[in-house]
Amino acid sequence: MSFKAGFGLSALAAGALFSVGTAHAQEKVTLEYWVYSDFAQGEALKLQQSFIDEFEAKHPGLTINIAGKGDDDLLTGQIAGAASGSGPDVFMNSTSAGASLVQAGALKNIYAEWMAMPDSFRAQFNKDLIAMCTPKPETMYCIPYTGYGSLMFRNLTVLEQAGVDTKAPIKDWADWLSQMEKVKAAGKYGVPDMTQNWASFLNIYSGVAEASEWGADFETKKTLINPEKYAKTAEFFQKLKPFSTGTNINDQATRDLFISNELAFYINGPWVNPPLEQAAKASGLKYDWVMVPGATEGKKAGVQGYEFIGVAPKANSKLAFEFAAFVTEKQQMTRWAAALGRYNSNVESLADPSVSSNPLLAATYESAKTALYNKPPFFLGTFPNSYWSAITDNASAVADGDMKPDEAASELIEQLNEILADG
Amino acid sequence: MSSRTTRSIAHYLMLSPFMLLFAVFFLYPIVSGLFYSFFEWNASQTSHFVGLANYTKVFTSRNFEKATWNLLIYVSITVPLGIFVALSLALLVDSFSGFWAKFFRSAFFIPVVMPLFLAATIWRWIYAPNFGLLNTILGWFGMPSVQFLNDTGTMLYAMIAVDVWVSAGFNMVIILAGLKNVPRHYYEAARLDGASTFQQVVHVTLPSIRPVLFFVITYGLISALQVFDVPWLLTGSSFAEYGGRANALLFPVMDMMGRGFGSVRFGQASAYGFMLTILIVCVTAVMFALRKKFGDA
Repeated sequence: MSFKAGFGLSALAAGALFSVGTAHAQEKVTLEYWVYSDFAQGEALKLQQSFIDEFEAKHPGLTINIAGKGDDDLLTGQIAGAASGSGPDVFMNSTSAGASLVQAGALKNIYAEWMAMPDSFRAQFNKDLIAMCTPKPETMYCIPYTGYGSLMFRNLTVLEQAGVDTKAPIKDWADWLSQMEKVKAAGKYGVPDMTQNWASFLNIYSGVAEASEWGADFETKKTLINPEKYAKTAEFFQKLKPFSTGTNINDQATRDLFISNELAFYINGPWVNPPLEQAAKASGLKYDWVMVPGATEGKKAGVQGYEFIGVAPKANSKLAFEFAAFVTEKQQMTRWAAALGRYNSNVESLADPSVSSNPLLAATYESAKTALYNKPPFFLGTFPNSYWSAITDNASAVADGDMKPDEAASELIEQLNEILADG
Repeated sequence: MSSRTTRSIAHYLMLSPFMLLFAVFFLYPIVSGLFYSFFEWNASQTSHFVGLANYTKVFTSRNFEKATWNLLIYVSITVPLGIFVALSLALLVDSFSGFWAKFFRSAFFIPVVMPLFLAATIWRWIYAPNFGLLNTILGWFGMPSVQFLNDTGTMLYAMIAVDVWVSAGFNMVIILAGLKNVPRHYYEAARLDGASTFQQVVHVTLPSIRPVLFFVITYGLISALQVFDVPWLLTGSSFAEYGGRANALLFPVMDMMGRGFGSVRFGQASAYGFMLTILIVCVTAVMFALRKKFGDA
């Protein structure tokens, strides 16, 4: 071996040793990353884990632990964790829980970190959602992450048996009712009980109302629900009653009725598609999805909701923000949407051909253009605990014929304003 | 140091692990709950003293009256009914021996070990209007469909049925253990005196298992006062929306959790929790006083 070669090898060995030494010298950091339980299962978990692996590879010494939690566990863990300091470093939740988390001090103001990101990154996101995460000037609580827009799943077997032309779009509520009459005549159910939960209520109310007519104004402590439009919705609930299964949209029984060709219309988020897809393969379920019809032709209904990724005000918040920015970035969100058909807040990823060609995603994207936000305003105030049940109780009472729509509307508005005033 | 003192120190030392854990996990939460009930506190930011305002807020809220009334009806039905069912099942199982005794004991215990969310899903199916199992059976007799979980007149009773179904197996096992300890010659003597089966149960069985029944009743009351999971799951509740239609299945612990984690008002939630703790302590004290008065054997 020549001197030069020997020197070169020694230098390489020293370099290698130095680099190993440097890696060991990196501070060991662990980030706890909490997600909804469906993000930590099956294909979604594999993809999340690959995002984590890629980020860890760029940050030697960093370990990210992902944990899936149910809705209630996620919220209670984040609030209790904020008080004890034992909560996650980076986490997701629904924007509708944002105000509770802000109030509990679980979310760090990431405005400075966000503004330090390149324009090309910041431009990738839906501007309305960025505004949602930034309720006050220079106060930003989250990066918009994933989301949904509701769809109406149609059981084509039931509709065909009822003699409904499934190729013709449903024009309006009247047209929808006429289809349900045929469905009932065929001995099947039209819809689940749409008064039993706030989301199903909103899927109908959004058929007449505009965005400014939903949610509450926390400054004046008044509901934004329009009483006349509520009365129209209530009247429609009375008309829906004879075609209803009597079950909640989230009941297993409702899904089973749809899968077993007993229910014609099933309005819910795109997350119900995987079991339906499975049923299509296993038992030949024939179904499709369309936009939720509105009261008049041209008006579309629906609910849209979003999940965000937030950072806790803890020691490693800078790194946690970097990770949050990494997973929400176009490249990751494109892979997420393409692999799972899941909607997200990164507009550039949704425009990617590998994503926009997905029919469920395209429909969700279309739905989200006109759907009403689930529980606005976000990050500004928490709705008192009886606000939402007051709406569904009132709607159920009208549907059962216990109250007239007009009376119910004025009673509801009064009740909601009282609830908001009481706090 | 006397040998008696040395022995006492050894006893206290042996008790200390329990006392330490009891202080940390039981006494501290109760005392801190009492402390925070006088403060407006959102779990992380600085709290400020509000005196009895949280108690007033809870007492005067529209949910409190409803939750308390629901609890009163629920406890007064579910505890005696649950114990009656458990006692009946225990007597039934006790009348068998060998394979069938094991079979029934295991079968009746299944609801206890079944995950509650699964049990709730099954029951939501059973109670489903129009096509649910129960409504299908009612339909055979020409009866109209009942909205068991959405009609305010039936919701509480439908929930009590689920609750009894879930808890009966646990109470049955405890009562059964008590039954096994009743000397068999008591029954022989009663039979020789011409006692019927019913008379044997009333005059031999029940007095003999009084300590076991005391435990089952007291435990049942304490559990019933803290009812949460069954109505929460049956109504598909979340921290934003709970209690079912017209709050027909709203109970104090649900309301307390909603105030804490839904509205982030931990002061009010603490006040609620402390009031409930006082109620449970009082009920338990009454039970012990009754036991002392009437004797346990």
